[in-house]
Amino acid sequence: MAGIRIENVRKSYGAVTVLRDFNLDIADGEFVVFVGPSGCGKSTMLKILAGLEEASGGRVLIGERDVTDLAPGDRDIAMVFQNYALYPHLTVARNMGFGLKMRGMDRGEIDRRVKEAAKILAVDHLLDRRPKELSGGQRQRVALGRAIVREPQAFLMDEPLSNLDAKLRVHMRAEISALHKRLGVTTIYVTHDQIEAMTMADRIVIMRDGEIQQIADPDTMFARPENLFVAGFIGSPGMNFLLGNVTADERGARVSLFGQDVSLPVPLAAVPGIAGRPVILGLRPEHIGPAHGPVSFAVRPRLVESLGSEKYIYVDLPHENRGAPADAKGADDERRGDALIARLVDAGAVATGEPITLSFDPARLHVFDADTHRAIR
Amino acid sequence: MKLRSSRIVLYLGVAATCAVLLFPIYWLFVTAISPPADLRSLPPRFWPDVPQWQVFSRIAEERPMLLWLTNSTLAALGSVALSMTVSVFAGYALSRFRVRGGQSLGLFILTAKMLPATLLVIPLFGIFRSVGLIGSLWSVVLAHATLIVPFTTWMLKGYFDTIPRELEQAAMVDGCSPLGALFRVILPVATPGLAATALYGFVLSWSDYAYARTFLTNAQQSWTANLGITTMKGEYVTDWNEISAAAVFVALPILVIYLFLERYLVGGLTAGAEK
Repeated sequence: MAGIRIENVRKSYGAVTVLRDFNLDIADGEFVVFVGPSGCGKSTMLKILAGLEEASGGRVLIGERDVTDLAPGDRDIAMVFQNYALYPHLTVARNMGFGLKMRGMDRGEIDRRVKEAAKILAVDHLLDRRPKELSGGQRQRVALGRAIVREPQAFLMDEPLSNLDAKLRVHMRAEISALHKRLGVTTIYVTHDQIEAMTMADRIVIMRDGEIQQIADPDTMFARPENLFVAGFIGSPGMNFLLGNVTADERGARVSLFGQDVSLPVPLAAVPGIAGRPVILGLRPEHIGPAHGPVSFAVRPRLVESLGSEKYIYVDLPHENRGAPADAKGADDERRGDALIARLVDAGAVATGEPITLSFDPARLHVFDADTHRAIR
Repeated sequence: MKLRSSRIVLYLGVAATCAVLLFPIYWLFVTAISPPADLRSLPPRFWPDVPQWQVFSRIAEERPMLLWLTNSTLAALGSVALSMTVSVFAGYALSRFRVRGGQSLGLFILTAKMLPATLLVIPLFGIFRSVGLIGSLWSVVLAHATLIVPFTTWMLKGYFDTIPRELEQAAMVDGCSPLGALFRVILPVATPGLAATALYGFVLSWSDYAYARTFLTNAQQSWTANLGITTMKGEYVTDWNEISAAAVFVALPILVIYLFLERYLVGGLTAGAEK
């Protein structure tokens, strides 16, 4: 096992740059998740770590070894692929032992390690089968087994759960986390699913257009997003964004939301000259309550979605609060810029078009610069 | 009801197609075992009254069929071995590596196949004569390879394209070199494609007449079966039943090979590599 250091790694294909100055220190045994929308460069970075892609610049160190120019097989890493990439002409046992055989390990030791890994992953009864005779979940376990028998310095996982159905994905997510805790091997996991990132990671690296947007643990990522993109990407449903013009008086910075004067949770001194400028305000759906609170407003929901345990209430935004940039929304967010979602737990009966009072605490507001999209604190 | 009638139409279509495809083989066989007098009778006889089975043993004794078939086999095996060696690497490179002009190069390879054999035979004759290969089976092996390589390269490129790149990436992470990944993982997975491609090349070489006729006419010991059969046509009298019987001998090996390789040709080995 070893830590991994990525220093100023860049990657370009001709004039197209897919990774810019990627810097990251990963501690020994840490579980780091690269997350971001399609085309953000997360898989490219993983392939550079594996040695399957050549970096245009920068260095990669595993432990104290500079592996930048080493072949994939010499890096002492194991990789789990999105489509499993099991060798179809080999049995499960030979699939799992292939990497050890390539390293010239003796047959007895290979058998011992394969059986041990197969037992951990509960595939020991499948060792003589071919991949085509396995279910999706079993193939995924064999792919994991092929990685763990190697006892490598690090695991690289490229969206390993995205081919599984939703139920199995949740199950395998927990299994991979448990496996990581048991083995303690440094793991880098790539996904576009922010829920996978939040539930599995020690630290999350959010990427967009080849650049790191924020590196933080899941709770910090949720509570203190650095910019509008991170705020919109993390959380489901995604954060609501409202536009407001700042006014300042002796009580501090204020904006008008739902026709009410609301104090911003930002000291005026933090942003000199903010008065008179527009800001984007973020409010998470779960921070909106069903009753009277510090800031209450009466609305008629235009849509109510019930998930049984909770309800998503879609509410029209006042015209003065519309216009936050659409690209700040999360990947799975279908809202247009004119609606706000409230996520209500145990809210009782709520019907579309019927009046309801909602409220929020201004302390929960996130404030972003309307030009730079960076958080103002 | 509608489903049943459409099924009947489907079966009738399949039966008609099979009849059209199989009739020449059947007719070749009937011609071989019919007495010469029956061959020009009208209406035609679809099965002779007294099948002349001895025609097969007769031509086997009177003509060097075994030598011709051996030469055809050697020429086909040689040209297939040469073509496959070249086209496995060429097809893999075209499938996997993006190089400047790679696409044009691939298409350029294919244009070689667009030239008719009769056009290539003259310059090839000049080349082989200058290196002393005229009359040698090697001339046919090399000439057939020039015909086969463009097609097999593209067939294999198409097959390699269907194999997920992650397979060789996984092999490389497991410790293989790029060449090791090709030999240990990609080629075993590509067995159905390799078998189909090799068989295609074999048939192409086996059915050649123009090259053998040009390069081997004066070397009877090197005659291939197709060239040998044409010498059975007399100036005044031609025994069509004997020629047909010889043709049956020539067609038989291909038929047998198809039967043995059928399970590889239908493919399906990559199932399970990915979801």
